[in-house]
Order: sequence, then C-alpha cells, then structure tokens
Amino acid sequence: MADSYLVEPDIGFINEVVKLGGQDVKKCFQCATCAVACPISPDTKPFPRKEMLATSWGLKDRLIGNGDIWLCHNCGDCSTLCPRGAKPGDVISALRAYAVSEYAKPKALAKAVNDPKKLPILAAIPAVIFLVVGLITGLLNFSPGGDEIVHAHFFSTWLVDLIMLPTAAFAVAVFANGLKNFIADMHANALLEGKTDKQKIDAGGFIQALIKVIPTIFKHNRFNECGENKARGTAHMMVFYGFLGLFIVTNTFFIVLYVFKIHGPYSQLNPVKWLANVAGVSLVIGSLLLMKERASKKDQVSTYKDWFLLWLALGLGLTGLLAETSRLAGMAGFSYFIYFVHLMLVWSLFAYTPFSKLAHLVYRTVAMAYQEYSGRK
Amino acid sequence: MDKKYGVYICTGCGIGEALDIDALCEVPKEEGLPVKTHPILCSKEGVEMLKADIGEGTNTLVLCACSRRVNFDVFRFEGCIVDRVNLREGVVWSHPRSEFPALTEEEKEDEDNFDRVQMMAEDYIKMGMARVEKVALPEPYKLDNFSNRILVIGGGITGMTAALEASAAGYEVTIVEKEDHLGGQVLNWRAQLPVGPDYDELISPIAEEKIKAVEADPKITVKTGTVVARLAGQPGDFTVTFKKPGEKIEFDVPYPLPEEMKYDENGKELDAEKQHELYLEYNKGRVDILTIDPNGEKFGAVVLAAGWRPADIEGEQYAHLGFGKIPDVVTNAQFEKIAKDGKILRPSDGKEAKSVVFVQSPGKDEDDRDFEYAGSVTSMVALKQAKYVRQDYSDGKAYVFYQHMRTPGLSEYFYKSIQQDPGIFLTKGQVVSVSGNGDGLVVEATNTLLGEKVKVKADMVVLAAGMVPVTADDPVVNMAYRQGPAFRDIDLFDGYVDSNFICFPYETQRTGIYAAGAVRRAMTIEECLEDATGAALKAIQCLESANRGVSVHPRSGDMTFPDFFFQRCTQCKRCTVECPFGALDDDERGTPKPNPTRCRRCGTCMGACPERIIGFADYNIDSIGSMVKAVGVPSEDDYTEPPLRILGLVCENDAYPALDMAALNKLSYSADVRLIPVRCLGSVNVIWIKDALSQGMDGVFLLGCKHGDDYQCHFVKGSELAEIRMKKIGDALSSLALEEERVAMFQVAIDEYDKIPQIINEFVDSIEELGPNPFKGF
Repeated sequence: MADSYLVEPDIGFINEVVKLGGQDVKKCFQCATCAVACPISPDTKPFPRKEMLATSWGLKDRLIGNGDIWLCHNCGDCSTLCPRGAKPGDVISALRAYAVSEYAKPKALAKAVNDPKKLPILAAIPAVIFLVVGLITGLLNFSPGGDEIVHAHFFSTWLVDLIMLPTAAFAVAVFANGLKNFIADMHANALLEGKTDKQKIDAGGFIQALIKVIPTIFKHNRFNECGENKARGTAHMMVFYGFLGLFIVTNTFFIVLYVFKIHGPYSQLNPVKWLANVAGVSLVIGSLLLMKERASKKDQVSTYKDWFLLWLALGLGLTGLLAETSRLAGMAGFSYFIYFVHLMLVWSLFAYTPFSKLAHLVYRTVAMAYQEYSGRK
Repeated sequence: MDKKYGVYICTGCGIGEALDIDALCEVPKEEGLPVKTHPILCSKEGVEMLKADIGEGTNTLVLCACSRRVNFDVFRFEGCIVDRVNLREGVVWSHPRSEFPALTEEEKEDEDNFDRVQMMAEDYIKMGMARVEKVALPEPYKLDNFSNRILVIGGGITGMTAALEASAAGYEVTIVEKEDHLGGQVLNWRAQLPVGPDYDELISPIAEEKIKAVEADPKITVKTGTVVARLAGQPGDFTVTFKKPGEKIEFDVPYPLPEEMKYDENGKELDAEKQHELYLEYNKGRVDILTIDPNGEKFGAVVLAAGWRPADIEGEQYAHLGFGKIPDVVTNAQFEKIAKDGKILRPSDGKEAKSVVFVQSPGKDEDDRDFEYAGSVTSMVALKQAKYVRQDYSDGKAYVFYQHMRTPGLSEYFYKSIQQDPGIFLTKGQVVSVSGNGDGLVVEATNTLLGEKVKVKADMVVLAAGMVPVTADDPVVNMAYRQGPAFRDIDLFDGYVDSNFICFPYETQRTGIYAAGAVRRAMTIEECLEDATGAALKAIQCLESANRGVSVHPRSGDMTFPDFFFQRCTQCKRCTVECPFGALDDDERGTPKPNPTRCRRCGTCMGACPERIIGFADYNIDSIGSMVKAVGVPSEDDYTEPPLRILGLVCENDAYPALDMAALNKLSYSADVRLIPVRCLGSVNVIWIKDALSQGMDGVFLLGCKHGDDYQCHFVKGSELAEIRMKKIGDALSSLALEEERVAMFQVAIDEYDKIPQIINEFVDSIEELGPNPFKGF
C-alpha cells in the first residue's frame, strides 16, 4: 500500500462550505444512498458520497480540483433520498461555489461577489466607470437630441466598447488563469483517485473531447436524466439559449457596426433582430421559471449565489426588452435610463461571471470534456 | 383432605367429533369415578356445572378439554385439586382424523384392530386420574421471622435511584457504600450523557440532586465506608453483617476450598473428611455459614448496584498503541479526570491538547474486536469526550476511530448532534500504530471510510477502556451459602451477574438478590435509572411473595416447595451441589438444610435425589411415576401387531407451549407417544425412565430447553443436568441389555414448534427400527 495520507482537516473550509449552502454536510453518515441514487454518477468511484466524506473531514485539497463536483447537475435526487437530510446536492453546489472563488483571481473580488453586503459596491463600480470614462472622453452625451431615440447618442458605441471589450478580455484572462490551475488540479486528483489511466493531458485530444461534449450540453441530456428537478431542465434551456442567442446577436451587430459601418437601431424586420427579441423573451421567461422553481423548493438550500445569478439574468433580459420597447414607444428619458441600467448589468455579467455561479458555464464544460477525454473509470 | 373425584369431558373444539366420547366415559366409570360431558366446558354453563358439583363436595377434578396453558383462569377453583387433560391440542388437533382415520364399523368388529387416537385420549385420561390421586393441595411456607426492609449495595446513581424508588413505594431501605460518600463514579466526571429529550446535549452530572434526595428521605438509611461481610439466611429473612472495607472479622464469609487444594501432591482427590479439615483450616477465624450473627441486621431482599471499574489495558496485543510508554496515550477514564480538573492539557508537558484521537478498537490485526468490556457506553463516552475537546478549544479537533459505533435507541440523537460538530471527525477504521513524532503523536489507521491508509497528528490519544462489573473481581454480596459467597458460573457472562439477560432481567442466580446498573451490563446513566427502578420493583415482588409463602419467579405464585423425607437421606449432597440457585445449605454431616424462599421450585433437587426423598405437594416422584404407570402398554397378547409406546417428558416452559403451537398450526406427530409435562428437565428423576422401560414402553425422550453458553433453560442448569444424567443412564440400560438409543434428549427453542413433529417422528422411527422392548408383556 502506498504511503499513508496525512489527514489535516481544515475547519475553516468546512465553515465556508457551510456558509455557501452546505450546512447539512456533517449530517452525512456514509450510507452511500446518494451515490446510488444519482442518475449521472459513474458506476466506479461514484459521487457524491466521497465528496460528502471529504467535505465533512475538511479535506479541501481533495475537493477543489475534483472534476466530479462539476459533473453533478444539482438535480437533487440525492438530497431527496438522503436518510439523514445531509443534502448532498446542496453540498456539492456549495463546493462548486467555493471552487470558483478559489480559482478566480483576484480573490478579493471573488469574495465580494459571494457577499451580499458588497452588492451595492459591485453595482456602483460599472456606473462609476461609465460616468468617469464617459466624462473624460466626452463620449457621454446627457442631452441626446434628434427625433429618433438612439441609445448610441447617449452612450457612444465607442464608449461602450471601450469599456466592454477590456472587461470581456479581463473575464477571459481570469478564466484562462483559473482553468490552467483547474485542469492541472483536476488531472492530479484523477490520478490520485485512480479515475484515469492517462498520465499527461494532450491538448489536441482534449479539444476533440470538448467538441464531443458540446452536443450533450446543447441538448441538456444530463438534465433529462434527473428525477427530482426535471422541470428545471426546460427553464435552464431557455436561459441557456437566451444567452446564446444574445451572444450571437451582439457579435453579429458588432461586426455589422465596425465592418459594414451600419449603425443601429436596426429594423425590426431584420432577422437578427428577431433572434434578439426571441432570445430576450426566452431569457426572461427562463429565469422567471427558474426563480419559481427555486422558491417552491423548500427542502433545497437556496443561497445568495443562486439568487445573484437569477436576478442578474432576469435583469439583463428585462432591461434589454424594456429599453427596446420604450425606445419604440418614444419614452426617451425612461428608455435612456433603462439602457444605462442594462449596460451596467451587461458589464457586471462580463466582469463578475468568472467569480459567480455562472462560471459553471466554463468549469462544467471543461470538467465534462475532461471526463470524456480521461475515460473516467 | 378427603378427595371426592369428578371427571369432566368437554366435547367442544373438535373433541366430540374426533373421539368416541362414550368409550372415553367408560375409562373413569371403570374406576368407579363419576363422569360428565359438556359441549363447551369453558362456557358459563360449563363452569356453572363444575361449580355446582364443587358445591356438592367434589374437590378433585379431572378436566379433559384443552391445554393447561389456556383457560387456566376459568378452571381455577379455590381449595380444589384440578388436573387438565389435554385432549384438544394434545390429541385431536395434533392427530387429525384425516391422517389418523377412526375405525369403520366393519373394522371395529375385528378385535385386532385399534384406534391409535382413541387409545391416546384414553391413556391421557387415565394419567390424569392417576395424578390427582397422588397429589395434595399445597400449603404455603411461612417464615418465622420476616423483614420487609431492602438492602441496596452500592451508593452510586443506580443504588440511590433504587433506594428512592423502593422508598417511594413505601419500603425501608439501607444503602451500603464502600467509599466514604455517596455518588459513585459520576462524581469523577466533567459532564454526562443526556438522560431525557432532546437527547442531544451533555448535561451536568446528576449525582448532587440524587444525594440530596437520598439524604432527605426518612425511609433511607445510608452507611458509607461500609461493605457486606456476610449475607446469611434467605429472602424475607436475610441476616447481614456489615464491616469496614479491609477489616477482618469472624463473620467474614467462609470461602469454599479452592479447587487446587482438593488434591494431594500426586494429583489424587482428597477424601471428604480431609477436604473438610482443610476447608476449616482455610477459613480459620471465620464462623460457619449456618451460624447467624446475633448482631446482624435483618433484610428481606437485596438490590445489587455495586457498579464497575475501568478495564485494564495491558498486554502485548495493545503494544502498538503505545499505552504505558507514551505519556500522552491515556484511557478514557484518565482523560475524564483530566477534563474534570480543567482545560484538557497533555500529561507529558501540560501543553494544550487541541487534537485528540479517540481509539475505540485496538485494531492492528484483521479482526474488528473492541477493547474488553467496551460497548455502546464506551462509544458514547468517546463522543462525549470529543465534545470536551471542542468545548475547550474553538479550533480543537477530535477524531474517533471505531470498528463499532453503538448509540442505541434515542442516543442516536446524541450521536447526530456530535457528528454535526465541524471539528469532530468520525470514521470506522483499524488503528495500526500510535507513535511519537517530535512534539506530538501520529496515529495511523487503515481500512477507514476515507478509503486508504491515513494518519493524523494528535496531541493526545484516548483508548476506550471498557466497564468491568465489580462482581468479576469480588463476590461483593458475600453470601453465606454452601455453594459459595459469589454468584456461580458468571464467568460465562464475563462477570456480569445476570442469570438470563433476555428472559429474566435483574434476576441473579440467587433469589432475593437483584442486580441493577453496570453490574448487570455496561450502561449509561439513563439506562441505570431505569434499571434501578426495575430491580427495586423485583425486590418488592420478592418481599410480597416471600411474605405469603409463594414462589417469586419464574413460577410466580407457586405455593409448593420441596419437601424432604430426611429419615432416608444418605447425605450424598447431590441436591445441595446441583441446585442452580444455592437454595440448600448443609450441616456438618451433610444433611441438606432447605431455604424455601431461596427456592424457585424447579425440582432439580428432586431429579437429583437418588433416594427419591424430595417432592412437592402437587409434583413428586410418585405423581409422575403413577402417570407413567397409567399408560397402557399393549403387547402381542392384545394385538397381533401392538403399537409402540413411547414416553415423552416435556419441559413445560418452552417445549410444551411449542407443542401446543404445533397443534394450533395443524402439525401432527406420532400417536404412539405419551407426553407428560415436567417443571424442568432438571426435575426428571431417572426412576421414571426406568419404570417406563421396565413396564414395556419402547423408548423415552426428554424435550427441553437449549443448554450451553446461550442456554434458554428457565432454571439455568436443568436441561444441562438432564443431559448429564441421561448419559449416565445409558450404562444402566446396557446392563439391562437395552439399547442406549431407547432414551434420548432433544433441545428446542419455543419458536421451533415447526421442528417438534419431525423430532418426535424421527425418534419413533428409530425405536421402530430397534424393535419392541423385550420386557413388553412381562
């Protein structure tokens, strides 16, 4: 047998996980009902039992880089069947939040994103940036005239992109840095727990695996395996495709603007605009459904991190649609204000994603790709 | 008493349909006894009929109906001898006509034909009539002196609770405590396990309030710094001599001669006289057990609540744990003392012990055994002490490595609350080693829930020493009984004094002495409180039975007691030695001295006596012997192919009810057996077997309780003794040219009713193979 593993429980870690929604972890008495109940857990070295044990023992190093916590889709079957009420689903969810804030640097920002008391500051940051940069550059016009309401008259597209592009780049950089560590840790953990035979990760193979899992993600296959939270699958899909649609729309118009030099607002008959409207509506309805789901599930732990993301998604969708409709309705002042709020939220989405629950978009995708690549056993 | 007989045959419950009732009625008629039938004897009208006859002077009734185990209250008549002939379960239900057809009219014409079931019923009626002729109405044994005071040995939580409970029920109690203050072990603790809802928090030890209550109770006398030197006499009339611990006095109880002193240097057993001489020398300065201390105090019953001590952890098997070598490896008892004295500090250097590992099982090898005498209490003590670590240090860590975590009943809530402390870590695991590592210790364990070999750093390691009952070391009660001052054969139970843990809690092998608390098994305080109440109630039951001259248990209310015909006693001492309850003492010549209130009326003495001078009013050598003789044994003179006759002596405690259950479940067995219920197989005297065989019966079997380590015998030793006696009878049989296989003994548990028919039938088959008894017809 290999050398013994020196167990050094980190009580601070346990307390953190408890705060993030894993407050029942210590109730676990290792019956393994969760690992059996889980519809998507693999047959060998199944989760979440081992994660429950490691968490109750405060073994942080075994959990942060553990790819399995990302394979979980929080369907809640384990929590429903747990005889001790230890809520493995919520514990794993808390572990993911902890892992995100562990990989996302700077840490202070990660802490702030998960702290409700810091919300006003977080909300103020984009407002201040926009106003300061706008006033310095003079790209902010407080009395946009003209017959037509054109949001760009208020906020120059130059101003928006001057701020948004670096923010997006910042997010990408944070993710890149986090992923580098995450993939290394995940591989080390897989080797330690004997979940893979592959000694090294080769980039080509990994990308192939990534491409292979994309359809699974698009089709929400894993969600459909869930029992307890099945209804959530559709809502999640609406939000997912809402974001995806809006992502496509934004990029399309970006090209249209800078390559073809055609300024908005664009005609409602434009098919891209159709997509934008459908995606916006889908985002709003999807996030409302998810909120309803969460509010009705009394036995599931819902923490700040969950509501933060849901409100952000809803806010994005609503302000986007309102800004558009009020523009069409000719309510100039209101429309400009809403557009401002909308921009703030978009900035928040970019800037805070690597630190928030939405980071699962990246980590889970990578973890699923790694599972596919490593041939998890 | 002039007996006026009456035989009554019930024809209900299928009896009338299956049997020829007119023919049955001929049986008593032939003996000149009046006989009546009734369609439902247990009905109001049936009982009225019996009462009317009793009113006219009938006082000896043979009721041929259902088993004696049912309707016993309906057929109980003051001042009457009643015998219950079991026609229902014993004959018709267990021998249905579908399997044992009645003779047709045509068959009846040939006298060589016979009806086995009818024969069976007729035999049982004859046996019932024979029995009632031989038995008498019992008269209770009344003590000359009677004390209803209760002695409680041990002033811990259990003893104090027993005293308070007995006092609350109106009895005077004396507590003896060997320490110079009340309280017991609890006084050494920082905190104790919960005793009530919500069962999830440690509480302050409850000794103080108990001590106050005891001291304020006018019915309770407390003797601290006192032990029992000797307890003489019998329930209702114990004489107790007290002394200071360690003192030597003449009323110290004499000890039996140790086994090794009974042999000379050549290993030959010394003769009785020489042994007695050595015995007297061995006990020089101590007066004989039969001498009563004139200054002794009188008590009626005893609650033994002497408690426990922590088990020793020593020996090569624990070497890997470093106990004794590493000062920071301590037992749970030592840890408790450290915790009681203040913050938990390391014994080696007085530094704060912030990481403590609790080892519940010695581990090392592959087996998963725990420390000796460890159990649920040590499990929960580890949880309790883990909490101490957390109470003292907010960053403290406590680990519990166990093979078994036992938190029975509502203690589960306690387990849950401890488990949820973020600084307490529990895992099953096998501790491989404890070693020093610079400033601290390292504990290595394998096969843990963590799935691999792990080690943890520790400031202290705590080993789960178990709770040894004090009776494992010392007789404590010091009974002036011929069988010795201690409880017998309790090494079978590791020194715990219970005689049958499951069936008869609190009852020791000595009537009138009831064990409670940790002397009975390892218990938490909560369990001790309940146990003390139970034992106090048992002591009260003993007093309230002894004062009326009836048996306490398990034959509660039995008014009979063994009667000795001393003129014919040969002083063989077999009764004294074999009595499972030490009820008999003997004088210098070896003549037994009965102590009826110590007796449980099992009849083991009656089975043991070679002179057959011991008997009970309603159960004796003659009464059963006459029943055996009443069985008709047909020979070739009667029929061309006479049926076999096999006698079954059946223990009435488990085997007989199992037979009733078999009948109730429509299970049938051979109709050639005749069953006689006996009080215990220990009461079976071999003369009955010899009588049966010499009158031509083909085989005899005994059906009784399981014996051995997990014995189920209600009288502890009965079935075991019977087995020994049956082995000896084999020699006697072969001298008569009878096969040993004609006598057999079988053990059944009460729930094995489904196996009984097979046991009986197989025995009958084996006898059939041997052929009929050659003595038949002589």
